[in-house]
Amino acid sequence: MSALLLSAALGLPILAAILMLFVPVRQAPWWGLGAAIIILAASCALLAGREHFGMWHEVNVRWVSNLGVNWHLGVDGLSWPLIGLTALLVVGCAAYLLDRPVQRDVRQLLALIFVLQFALVGVFLALDTIVFFVFFELTLPPMYAIIAGWGGAKRTYAARKFALYTLVGSALLLLGVVLLSIDAGTTNLVTLQGGGHGSLAVFAILAVAFAVKSPLWPLHTWLPDAHTEAPTVGSVLLAGVLLKLGTYGFIRVGVGTMPDAAADASPVIGIFAVGAIVIGALICLAQTELKRLIAYSSVGHMGFVLLGIAAGTTAGLQAAVIANVAHGFITGLLFVLVGIIKERYGTGELAQLGGIRFSAPRLAAIFGLATIASFGLPGLAGFWGEAFAIVATVQRGGGLWMTLASCAAIGAALTVAYFLRVLRQVIARPADAVQPTSGWSFGEVIAVVPLVLGVLVLGLWPNGVLSLSLGPVTQIAEALP
Amino acid sequence: MVVDVTSSYLGQYASLALMLLVGVGFISVSLLANRFLRPATPGAAKLSAYECGVDAVEGDWARSQIRYYVYGYMYLLFAVEAIFLFPWILAFDLPGMLVRSAVEMGIFAALLALGLLYAWRKGVLRWV
Amino acid sequence: MLNTVTLAADIKAPSMNYEALAPMLIVFGAGCASVLVEAFAPRAARHIVQTVLTLVALIAGFVALLFVDRDGLKTAADAIAIDTTGLFLQGTILVLGLVSVLLIAERSLTPGGEFVAHAAVAPGSTDDKKLTASVYSQTEVFPLTLFAIAGMMLFVTANDLLVMFVALEVFSLPLYLLCGLARRRRLLSQEAALKYFLLGAFASAFFLYGVALMYGYAGAVDFASIHNAVQADRGDETLLLMGLAMLIIGLLFKAGLAPFHSWTPDVYQGAPTPVTAFMSACTKIAAFGGILRLLYVGFGELKDDWRPLLIGVAILTMLVGSILAVTQQDLKRLLAYSSIANAGFLLTGALAMNKEGVSSTLFYLVAYGFTTLGAFAVVMLVRDADGEATHLKRWAGLGRRSPIIAAVMTFFMLAFAGIPLTSGFTSKFAVFSAALAGDAVSPVIVGVIASMILAFPYLRLVVLMYVTEPGESGADVHVPGAFTSAALTLGVVATLLLGVAPQPLLDLAEQASQFVR
Repeated sequence: MSALLLSAALGLPILAAILMLFVPVRQAPWWGLGAAIIILAASCALLAGREHFGMWHEVNVRWVSNLGVNWHLGVDGLSWPLIGLTALLVVGCAAYLLDRPVQRDVRQLLALIFVLQFALVGVFLALDTIVFFVFFELTLPPMYAIIAGWGGAKRTYAARKFALYTLVGSALLLLGVVLLSIDAGTTNLVTLQGGGHGSLAVFAILAVAFAVKSPLWPLHTWLPDAHTEAPTVGSVLLAGVLLKLGTYGFIRVGVGTMPDAAADASPVIGIFAVGAIVIGALICLAQTELKRLIAYSSVGHMGFVLLGIAAGTTAGLQAAVIANVAHGFITGLLFVLVGIIKERYGTGELAQLGGIRFSAPRLAAIFGLATIASFGLPGLAGFWGEAFAIVATVQRGGGLWMTLASCAAIGAALTVAYFLRVLRQVIARPADAVQPTSGWSFGEVIAVVPLVLGVLVLGLWPNGVLSLSLGPVTQIAEALP
Repeated sequence: MVVDVTSSYLGQYASLALMLLVGVGFISVSLLANRFLRPATPGAAKLSAYECGVDAVEGDWARSQIRYYVYGYMYLLFAVEAIFLFPWILAFDLPGMLVRSAVEMGIFAALLALGLLYAWRKGVLRWV
Repeated sequence: MLNTVTLAADIKAPSMNYEALAPMLIVFGAGCASVLVEAFAPRAARHIVQTVLTLVALIAGFVALLFVDRDGLKTAADAIAIDTTGLFLQGTILVLGLVSVLLIAERSLTPGGEFVAHAAVAPGSTDDKKLTASVYSQTEVFPLTLFAIAGMMLFVTANDLLVMFVALEVFSLPLYLLCGLARRRRLLSQEAALKYFLLGAFASAFFLYGVALMYGYAGAVDFASIHNAVQADRGDETLLLMGLAMLIIGLLFKAGLAPFHSWTPDVYQGAPTPVTAFMSACTKIAAFGGILRLLYVGFGELKDDWRPLLIGVAILTMLVGSILAVTQQDLKRLLAYSSIANAGFLLTGALAMNKEGVSSTLFYLVAYGFTTLGAFAVVMLVRDADGEATHLKRWAGLGRRSPIIAAVMTFFMLAFAGIPLTSGFTSKFAVFSAALAGDAVSPVIVGVIASMILAFPYLRLVVLMYVTEPGESGADVHVPGAFTSAALTLGVVATLLLGVAPQPLLDLAEQASQFVR
């Protein structure tokens, strides 16, 4: 049964990708939406048999035994929220494409999205270091193709930059996991958990690899270009899930397997994370283009996730988990909305936009909701992660951590500042600017509604995610010295 | 490591080098002696290609027929491969070697003949 | 004279294990038969007869190989070692040679195939114009290919340096000729042949000089005696090191390793594409088979002397290959530089000095061979009026005009780039982890960086095919004939299978990594 459930969650996206190549082009998005909903159902089926500790479902068969690699997959409370998030965002993407003309064959785009989903789910399911790397690396080609094939004017440059950074990251990741596995004599992430192997150097290699993906300042410069040039669905998946590979890897492979080294390195990570929060917010204040601004805002938000990880307590890691998921929903929603705004108003320049409150009140309302969720208003999804991260940092005590906590709080305030600037500029300013060219389409509604619900539910009932992840997180946190 | 010049492997070349030195010295000395002893009366005729009065008619680049090359090549093939026959002659009548060595040499010769056969069919042996 | 006679009396006929030699003998014999066909069959029938003969011979050779005793034995006065590594390499050469022959025999893409009708006609002359349109081709390519394959098979099982040298020449000479037989761009092709010949002769001379010095050192040329001499530490060490250096230089040249790689791009570009494919797959196998045997069997005791040097060579090769690949504008040159870099990856595996090192190198050779054959097969399909369109610009927008061929090429490029679930990842992973286990960390680090750099030229081609708008000068994609389709299918299937389920071949390679001395 476990094998069946896991195979379904992992295999269905590939089947969907193949299916997309054969469906008629006009109905392709409908087929895509159907497939995405089935995959979402399959992902939810994994919830059956959940446990507080340990793996809910696990498969472990020999794959390449000469190299000591096993086809070892499993799902637990740490990985499931991200699998569910991926499935939900893919549904949103498919819906968004429903009645939208795209540059070229929409079937290929959908197929690539499903291939990407396959790779992403694979990363979250992987319980073998090499399998983890395999899927981590596999996310590159489809994302690269989505940016290069359906992106904006500077797509080739953006795609190349994205590939360069990702390849550097994955090269380091490969080096790190191989060194770790050779040292430990096993590639099994479950037995590796709890430590005893690796060294500070190996942890540093892995940390840089994940920091590129997260992205952690100052390794973030690929992100704004990739996001700005990517098509809306690409940005949604890139911000919503791809960045989580870095933070998930940090928790599962980095901190999980090498707690001692992680503890030694935690001040450094913390400093960089706070740097990311503050500098990310400052950069955002200076942005003039909406999509680029949202892109840069991810740097700051992922900084909070990494600050939680650096704090290394149960509360800190829980903050990282919830902030991960919340950022997926909120930023996914923001990118969908920015896509809609840019399409209706023909521009993303803050100076030219304005008065959406008058010309498109519902769009303005939802955009406002997403924005205040993003800067962490209590009661919405973004609050819990930021608050917990700062609380956990304060709990660590000592001069350094107190300083980091106060800097992070200042960063959070700056985040509020730049988002309020956006709100004033885009929504409230009198409507002397451009007028919308169209209203809501059915696909847009389908795409937006689940994400809005996600933002609300996560904000009001964070325990939904936190209770799932508490078991695994406690285990990891207890192993930390 | 101190190299003993007389006994080491490369040291045996020392006598050769000495020989070479003496040879070059001898020639240089005799040519130099000649230069100083002979009378010198330069003339244009002495610089022509043939000093016997016949003027050269063409430049010094001349083409030879490609066939010379092919013939030369085939000659070389058989001339060199024939060397393998000499040890065979010494061994083929030893007890127990006769049939086997004859067959093996037959294969060897057949392979050579194959080359000749190919050359013949490709018209290499026609001389016009 | 008396002396000679006593010597003759001492002659004992060497024992020949014909069963173990059968695969080689079959291919050599087929080569001779193929020459006879060339001499006597009418011109119109030659191509089909030669194709069938060659394919049958290679299949028969492979079948004979399956029956060879796998315990490892030496035969022909210990000059040939039929061990599992040798058998694995021979089998690989036969299979990949077979796929190459499929490409060589392809005639449906252009009238008469990729080979010139009369190689002797001077390029640019009046007769030359007729050649391009001629439906005939120089069918000598088949016996030449057979001899080259047989020579490679002998090379990877040679157990003494002289046999090794003879085999080196036996497989090199046909390759020099094959390079010069292109139907289009004949001057470029002849230039490639001449360059390859001159530099190859130079490398052979180095190798032969090394053999001579090694004889001076050990008093013998077989690996066992050399090994014993090294172990007993007798003989002149200067001779030993100089000889070894010369031997290695000769082999580095054949394998296309820096700094002896400079012939590769010119030759790969100028040679007819099926021959390029053959060289990049099979010559690599032969060269690395020779390197493995030389280093592990003959000079394993001396590894502290040569290993640091060869690690430097591997690092240099990977860097040169990958960095120069980025700047290439011609696809065949790009693939040539990629093959140089891949030679560096292979050497990294070979330098691991453990069993995994050998088995991962063997695996890499198979995986890389299939992928590179497939990639060159695709190159053969993209043509214009002037033959193959190898300039990268001509590939722009190919994804729209011919989605399947573009997808196949993309798959090969992803495999070259080492993306997981393709054979490229498995093989790189195998050699790198073997090298790490063997404490060769520096080439692995450089290797990882180099494969990252190498991903860019591959991705660039993919972008060109799918993203760039096709210009005026876009090339046509020809429908592959039966032979090319077969080769392409084999390439795709092998690349995928070795990426997804590499276990059986890895097992086989591991069992095969057993030398006899």
